[in-house]
Amino acid sequence: MSHSWVDAILAAGVVPASYVPEASVGRTDLEEFTGADPVEDPELRVHSLDGVRALAPAAVGFLDGIEQWRVVGYAGVTPIVRAYVAAAIRLRRTDRRPRTIGEDADELAITRLDRLPDAAREALERAGVRVVEISADDAGQPARALPAARIEVQKARAALERRLAERRLSGLGSDEWLVVDGVLSDSSALSAHPRVLGVVKSHGAEYFAGPELERALTLPAVRRTSVFRPKSRGARRDIYSWYLRLWPWEGNDLLYGLLRVEARAHPETVARASGISAWLTAERAPLATPDRRWDRLLYPIHDVETYLRARAPRDLLPAPGSRLPRTGT
Amino acid sequence: MIDKASPQPPPVGRVVATEQKPATPHQFHFWTANETSIGIGAIVRVEGAGSGEQGAGKVVYGVVTDGFAYSDLATPLHDVVGAEGDPARAAESPTVRQEIRLWTAAVLRQQPEEPLQPVPLGRVHVATDTDVAQALRMDAYLDGTEPTAIPVGLYTSGGLEAPVYLDADFLLGPEAAHLNISGVSGLATKTSAVEFLLGSIFQHFPPHKGRIAAVCFNVKGPDLCFLDRPGVLEEEDRRRYERLAVRAQPFERVRYYAPFKADGVNLNTLRTHPDLVGDVEPLVWGLREVLDYAEVLLNRDDIDAKADAFIDFLSDRVVDKEFDDGFGGAHRVVTFADLERLFRSIFDGLELGGGRGDTWRTHHIATIRKVRNRLSNISTRAKGLVTDDGPSNDLPWGRFEDRAVYVVDVANVDPLGQDLVFARIVSKLREHLERRDLGVEAVVVFVDELNKYAPADGPETYVKKMLLDISERGRYLGLVLFGAEQFRSQVHRRVVGNAGTIVFGRMDSDELATPGYQVLSPAIKIKLATLPIGELMVRHPHFTQPIFVRFPRPAVLRGRDGVERFPPAADLPFEDAVVRQLVKLDRRVRPNLVKDLIVDRREEDVRRALAHTRQTRPQDAFAHFKKHLGGRVAAAPATARESVPPLNPISDEPY
Ligand SMILES: Nc1ncnc2c1ncn2[C@@H]1O[C@H](COP(=O)(O)OP(=O)(O)O)[C@@H](O)[C@H]1O
Ligand SMILES: [Mg+2]
Repeated sequence: MSHSWVDAILAAGVVPASYVPEASVGRTDLEEFTGADPVEDPELRVHSLDGVRALAPAAVGFLDGIEQWRVVGYAGVTPIVRAYVAAAIRLRRTDRRPRTIGEDADELAITRLDRLPDAAREALERAGVRVVEISADDAGQPARALPAARIEVQKARAALERRLAERRLSGLGSDEWLVVDGVLSDSSALSAHPRVLGVVKSHGAEYFAGPELERALTLPAVRRTSVFRPKSRGARRDIYSWYLRLWPWEGNDLLYGLLRVEARAHPETVARASGISAWLTAERAPLATPDRRWDRLLYPIHDVETYLRARAPRDLLPAPGSRLPRTGT
Repeated sequence: MIDKASPQPPPVGRVVATEQKPATPHQFHFWTANETSIGIGAIVRVEGAGSGEQGAGKVVYGVVTDGFAYSDLATPLHDVVGAEGDPARAAESPTVRQEIRLWTAAVLRQQPEEPLQPVPLGRVHVATDTDVAQALRMDAYLDGTEPTAIPVGLYTSGGLEAPVYLDADFLLGPEAAHLNISGVSGLATKTSAVEFLLGSIFQHFPPHKGRIAAVCFNVKGPDLCFLDRPGVLEEEDRRRYERLAVRAQPFERVRYYAPFKADGVNLNTLRTHPDLVGDVEPLVWGLREVLDYAEVLLNRDDIDAKADAFIDFLSDRVVDKEFDDGFGGAHRVVTFADLERLFRSIFDGLELGGGRGDTWRTHHIATIRKVRNRLSNISTRAKGLVTDDGPSNDLPWGRFEDRAVYVVDVANVDPLGQDLVFARIVSKLREHLERRDLGVEAVVVFVDELNKYAPADGPETYVKKMLLDISERGRYLGLVLFGAEQFRSQVHRRVVGNAGTIVFGRMDSDELATPGYQVLSPAIKIKLATLPIGELMVRHPHFTQPIFVRFPRPAVLRGRDGVERFPPAADLPFEDAVVRQLVKLDRRVRPNLVKDLIVDRREEDVRRALAHTRQTRPQDAFAHFKKHLGGRVAAAPATARESVPPLNPISDEPY
């Protein structure tokens, strides 16, 4: 879909805008857990990976998604956001070169319809763009409207990623794994599959406290913690998880090189946790630079993101200098 | 000649342009898959992007001049970090980084040509035959009523192969002319390339341009001694001949000329095998031939106007005329020997005359002595070429044959003698072409080791001036210079500069570092420095960029193989050599009779009689020879000739 719907609502009297809100720290778990149950050890321990044989799947699909959004107009103080979300799976076989085997993209308008003039609302309807609404309260306060819109963008992206991943599961080869950027636990199919991993690199959720927390966050390089089960809440599925440190954090910060891995809640996961950890450690090379999160971003995930960004519409990218006031006629 | 029906291959690349590396009207960049048939020198066709995008309908041809590969690695340090400092581990990473093959291409041609605009950011295709013809603007001379295309080699890239043609009007005049080829010995295939191209020219020289011949100076061993003999070709060579529509055959008409050795009867060439020596003509020049080009002999040293004037005097007033020396002697100077007699009587006369001073006919005695020294010097140093006496034997001026090669073997001639041969033969060619009475309309003169005859520095010798003159004016006359040398930088700038067609084989990298090659990209230079045997880079006026082509081995016997197949005969004893010369003139000559006849004759007399017989070509060679030799005189001991200095080696290579 082109962004002709933007032209249509502008023609309908919406005040044009062009604003890409500052990027935030990155995607966090949308719903937060609290607490964890021990699975592997009675209490969270540090496991060395020395001498562990790394799991070496013949084929691994890596899944990631991107989101881009921009305020394209205001009706009064109500923003109208144009968002683009996309996701792709790139499969890496023995030639070590990832190739795209599935991708999907979606465009949506985020606003509050009943705050729009009739003409603009009709224009949106006619254009056929998917409209996602924010609450009336959020829409009335610009300070709240944009964070609310942002959450909708993230949800749209997560949904797209999930759809794509679930579609792939049916075709997953017997020696093929799927590594997803982010949590598995919002999909029952992904949570239950023996060869799907979630790799989480933002650590908003709190599972531990006291000495266990210290053990988790001061984990030395190339070590993992015991496998634990995050306590579930809401729609979250049962999942097993553990922390893995890719690079020494000393000299940086506590979260440097720290991943949390998610896999299905099954005894086999405990048995494989070290093999999987050794595998993911091997994924440190090649480095995912120049991404700033390279210390915990796996290169093949970075590769998916690069692919998606290369294919995203150009007009959603923040253009340097674009915020200068218009001059002339 | 062009395969118009060839199907369009799928695109192999895509033009990209950034602010740092924009597309311009003369250059563009494109990427390809990592595994690609594209390489330096590949010709590509860019098609304007799809409908709606800029540049639709435009077609641009380009040749790849540079290539880049890089990955998304931000700094080399990150590779070290990822491999934890162990190079062995760097290859083990589970994912291969994204990488690119990015190519730079120089524009060969744009269609339409106007308005001239930056290359569109379109699809890149490997060129087909038709594309190559278009890209190199060969369509202008390949088709039409009077095509002038001369196959020079095959452009090959990615399994595609397309014939490349030179335009005869620009190779052999009148629009442009001359060819220069350079590259390291033994690898650049300079001599071979010229041999192949001559064959191609002989087969494809357009009829409307008339007749053509070649004069090749053999300056190195047996290089050009077997042009009439078939050589060994491989299947690949034959295929290339076929693709180029050139018949793989040796030259049909080759005439060999070589001077004698110092003995005056054995030929100074490596083509002396009994089966072959029969068609080698002796090249023998007398006083007249030498005097006309005396400037060649003098200007190596400090030539002065006085010596010049004296030579003119000899040439105009003395030679071939009844001449009174002023001391009571009458002379008719025809040979060097006659001239020597004249000099003696002048010196004697001046001495005897005592007070008569030291001038003779306004010429100072020192000048006379100097000229005499120079002239006797040439007759000593090039003894087999210059006869002291007796008639000369020369190229068939006025009777040159169409598609004939005249090989003049000067490989073992003293440098001074070589200069004389060049100067005289080229000047004669020029004279006859100017008068349009040579027998052919165009002559290709092939000079190997051009750096020796037209060096970049050193004195302005006669030969150098003459080569410059052909370079600058030859194209109007049909006098075309094909020059070869190892190092182009060592040849006079205007001589190479006037060559319309410039060819490079494998090049020396020091040579490539000299300023003359600045226009070439580093990638082209490395390609030139590693060029495989049989591949050449060609510049031609119609091609806006240098093009790489492959050519088949020449269909003639290589010199090196020739001397193995036809080992040169050992020098014959004097009387046997004389017999052979006479038998060649007249099959009925009986060797024993000849031997009996000459057994105690002076060698000079025998040589003179032989030369006369050769020149006269009588019905009965023996009778003529006998008559000319005259009655038996008292056997005089053979006069001790001045000893001949050892011949200067011409090159470091064998032979
Ligand atoms: N087209 C060709 N393909 C393969 N080999 C060739 C070709 N042309 C020449 N050669 C070989 O290359 C060698 C050098 O060739 P030559 O012409 O003598 O080089 P140069 O004159 O530069 O010293 C010879 O042995 C010749 O047989
Ligand atoms: Mg050679």
